[in-house]
Amino acid sequence: MRKSLAIFLVLTLVVGIAFFGCKKKEPEMTTLVYATTESITNMDTSNAYDFHTWELFQNINVALLTYAPGTTDLIPGLAESYTANDTADEYTFKLRPGLKFSDGTPFTAEAVKWSIDRVIALEGDPSWLVVSFVDSVEVIDDLTVKFNLTGPVGFFPSLVASVPYQPLNPAIYPEDRWINDPEELEGGVLTGMGPYKLTSFKRDEELILDANPNYYGEKPKIDRIVIRYFADATTMRLALEKGEVDLVYKTLNPSDIEDLAGMDEFKYYKMPGPYIRYLCFETSEGLFSDKRLRQAVAALIDRQDIIDKVFLGQNEPLYSMVPNGMIYHTDEFKTELGDGNVELAEKLLAEAGYTAANPLEFELWYPPQHYGDTEVDMVEVMRVQFEKTPAVKVELKPAEWATYIANLDTKQMKVFTLGWYPDYIDPDNYTAAFASSDGSPGMGIYFSDPEWDALFVQEQTSVDPAEREMVFEKMQKLWADEVPTAPIFQGNLHLFTKPNVGGVKIGPPLIFNYDQLFFE
Amino acid sequence: MKNLLKYAVTRVFLTIPMLFILLSLVFVILRVMPGDPVAAMLGGHAPPEVIAAKREELGLNKPMIVQYGEYLAQLARFDLGDSMIFDQKVGTPIAEKLPATLELTITGMAFTLLIGVPLGAYAASRRRTGRDFGIRLYGNVAYCIPVYWMGLMLQLVFGVWLGWLPIAGRTSPRVFASLFEKTGFYVIDTLLAGNFAALGDVLLHLFLPSLTLGIVLSGIFVRLTRANMLDVLKSDYVLAARARGIPENKVVYRHALKNAFIPILTMMGLQFAILLAGAILTESTFSWPGMGRLLLERIRLRDYPTIQGVIVVFALFVSLVSLLVDLIYALIDPRVKY
Repeated sequence: MRKSLAIFLVLTLVVGIAFFGCKKKEPEMTTLVYATTESITNMDTSNAYDFHTWELFQNINVALLTYAPGTTDLIPGLAESYTANDTADEYTFKLRPGLKFSDGTPFTAEAVKWSIDRVIALEGDPSWLVVSFVDSVEVIDDLTVKFNLTGPVGFFPSLVASVPYQPLNPAIYPEDRWINDPEELEGGVLTGMGPYKLTSFKRDEELILDANPNYYGEKPKIDRIVIRYFADATTMRLALEKGEVDLVYKTLNPSDIEDLAGMDEFKYYKMPGPYIRYLCFETSEGLFSDKRLRQAVAALIDRQDIIDKVFLGQNEPLYSMVPNGMIYHTDEFKTELGDGNVELAEKLLAEAGYTAANPLEFELWYPPQHYGDTEVDMVEVMRVQFEKTPAVKVELKPAEWATYIANLDTKQMKVFTLGWYPDYIDPDNYTAAFASSDGSPGMGIYFSDPEWDALFVQEQTSVDPAEREMVFEKMQKLWADEVPTAPIFQGNLHLFTKPNVGGVKIGPPLIFNYDQLFFE
Repeated sequence: MKNLLKYAVTRVFLTIPMLFILLSLVFVILRVMPGDPVAAMLGGHAPPEVIAAKREELGLNKPMIVQYGEYLAQLARFDLGDSMIFDQKVGTPIAEKLPATLELTITGMAFTLLIGVPLGAYAASRRRTGRDFGIRLYGNVAYCIPVYWMGLMLQLVFGVWLGWLPIAGRTSPRVFASLFEKTGFYVIDTLLAGNFAALGDVLLHLFLPSLTLGIVLSGIFVRLTRANMLDVLKSDYVLAARARGIPENKVVYRHALKNAFIPILTMMGLQFAILLAGAILTESTFSWPGMGRLLLERIRLRDYPTIQGVIVVFALFVSLVSLLVDLIYALIDPRVKY
C-alpha cells in the first residue's frame, strides 16, 4: 500500500511538472529574446565605454544626431538641424520642439548643456571624446544650443552622434557622480527618449526593454526585447538551436559560427565590422624604442595564418590602423613589411645586433578572456610565427583585464595585444588615440613625435577632404615605418536569428537598432 | 542532550577564529594580487587625478594594516561593507544570488543521494558480479568527469537533440520572475504565488544543472555506500534477518542501508563544500545567476569587499552544514557521544 502510494505520488508529480512546465505562457505582447555573452558595465553615459552598454544606450536614448539604420549617413536625432560656422569651431543645433523624457520632464537646450557639462565634470572613461573637442556649451534659447569647440573639428557631427553626447534627464541623474544601476536614479527608473525604455534589469542575468510610448519617432514593431546574458558562448549557441532565444549576437566561438552558418534553419548575418585587433609596442624606453625591432616583429606577423587557424577564416587581414573600407585607408603594412616576412625580419634584427646566437627575447602580453576565448590561441599562433626565425624568443604572458590596464601605466608590457571599437566613424579615431603625444600614453604605447602631432592637428582641424586624405596617406606611410602599433586583423560581425526575425541592420557605426526588428 | 547543546555552542564559537583566519588570508591575497580595482572601475582613459581621488574615496591609499583594521571593525558590527564598484552594500547582491546557488546545491545533493546511494547499495548486494563491476566503473568515471563537460553533454543530449529540457537560466525568457519573486527560491516563490505554470518552468530549468552536479558527485557516494554496505552485510544481525526468511531486498535496503548510511551522512557534510565549488562551474555552463557567477564577476572587477563577503558566506554555510551533519549524526546514532 505504502509502495503504491509512493509510486502514485511520484507519477503525479512528474505528470504535473511535465504539464505545467510545457504549457506555454501566452505572451501579451510580441517579445524577442536576444542572447549575448556581453555584459552591462555602468548605466551612465558619462562613464560607460564598452560596446554592449553603448548599444543599450543607443536604443533607450537618442543623440542630437544619429545614423540612419545600417548606414554611415547622419540624420536628425533630437536636433532637427544644425549649422556650423566657416571655421568649423562653432556648431549650433536646433532641437525638435515638444519633446519630453519619459517621466514628463521637458527636453530643452538646458538639458543638453547640463548633460555635456556633467560629462566634462565627472571625467569618466569616455569623457575625452567631449573634453578633447568641446570648450563650452551655450543655451541660445529653449530649442537652440551652441557648442563652442577648442578648435576646428570637421567631423564634430560624428562625435555628437556618440553616446557621451546623449542628453540625459537632469531631473533624475545626479550631477556629481555617475551611476551604475538604475536603482541609484531618482525614482529608481532609467528614462530616456529613445524607442525603448528600460523596464527591468538583473545584472548578468536579464534586461527587459519595452517600447517607449513617448518616443517621437515610429513605434517599434516588437513590443518587448528581453536580453539574456550567457556566461558561456557554447551554451548560448545551444540555446539558439533549442529555440530558447530568437537572436544571438556577440560573441560566439569561431567553431560555433561555422556550424551555425552551415545550418539552413537560421538566418546568418555576416557584416564587415570596424573592429580591429593590433599589436602594441612600448616605444619610449627599453628594447622597443628601436624601431627596427618593431618593424622586425611586425614583419613576422602572418595575418591570414592567424585568421585561418584561430578564426576559421572569419575575419579579414588588416594592413593599416585605418580599417578596410573606411575613407583614406591604404595597405601600407602590406607594401612595406609584408606577411610572415622572415627574411626582412632577420635583416632588421641583424642590423640591431640580434641573431640566432643572440636572439631577441621579449614577453608577449595578452588578456586571456577580455577579447574572448580565442585570444590564447591567437597569441600562441603569433609566438610560433615570431619564432620562425631563431633570432627571436617569445614568452607569452597572460594578465587578466584589470591587471592588464593597470600595466599600461607602469610600462611593464613592452609588446601586447589590444582591440578597438570605434567611438565615431572617422580615421582620426583609429590613429590619434594611439600615436599622438596626448593619447598614446593612455594606451601604454608612449609614442611621441612632433611631426605626427602636427599631422593630427592638421587633419582634425581641416574640413577639406582632399587635405585630410593627403594627411592620412602620409600618416599611414609613417606608421609602417615607425610601427608604434602593428595591425593584425579586422573583425567581421556575426549575428544569427531564427528564420522569422527580420530587420537586422548594423552598419559601420556598429549601431544595432532594435526598433528595426520585426517578426515575419 | 545537554552535552549535545554544549557541543553545538562550542562548534559555533570555534567558527569565529576559523572565519578570522580565512578572511585575513583572503584580505591580504586580494591586495597583493596584481590588478588595481580603480583602474578596472575607471577604465584606461581616466586622468591620474581622477584615479587618485577615487583611491582616496575608497580608502585604498591607506596602509594595508589600517585598511585591515577598519575592515575588522566593520565585521565586528556584522557589516560586510560596501561594494567598491557599485553603489550598494555587499550584502545586497549576495542576498539576491545566494538563493539561486542554494536551490541548485540542495537539489544537486538530492540527486547525488538518489543516484549514488541506491547504486552503491545494489552494487554491494551483487558483489563480484558484472553489475557490481559496472556500477563501480560508473562511480570512478563519474568522479573523474569535469563538471563543465558533463553539463555541456547533458545540454546537448537532453536540451538540443531530444529537446526535452531547457539548457540555461532559471526561467524561460518569457516567464518573468518579477511577477512571483519573494524569497529568491523560485520553487518556493512560485508555490507561494500559486503560479503552477511558472513552478513547472522553474523545475524544468533546475533539472539539468542539478543533475549535472548530482552525477559528478554521485561517484563518491557509490563507492562509499558500497564499502559501508559490504561491512554491514557481514554483520550478525543481517545474517539473522536472512535466517528468519526476510526478503533480500528488505534486508539490504531497509535493515543494512540504514546502518550503512551514517558515514554517508558525514560525507554529505564534507561534500557540501565541493558541491558549492562545483556550483561555480555549473552556474557558468548553465548561465545560472548564482553566487558562483557573482564571485567570478567581482574578481574580474577587483571588487574586494564583495569577494570577501562571498567567501565569508561560503565558509559560514560549509561550517553550518558540517555542524548540522554532526548533530544529526549524534541524534540518530546513540553510540555517538560528545
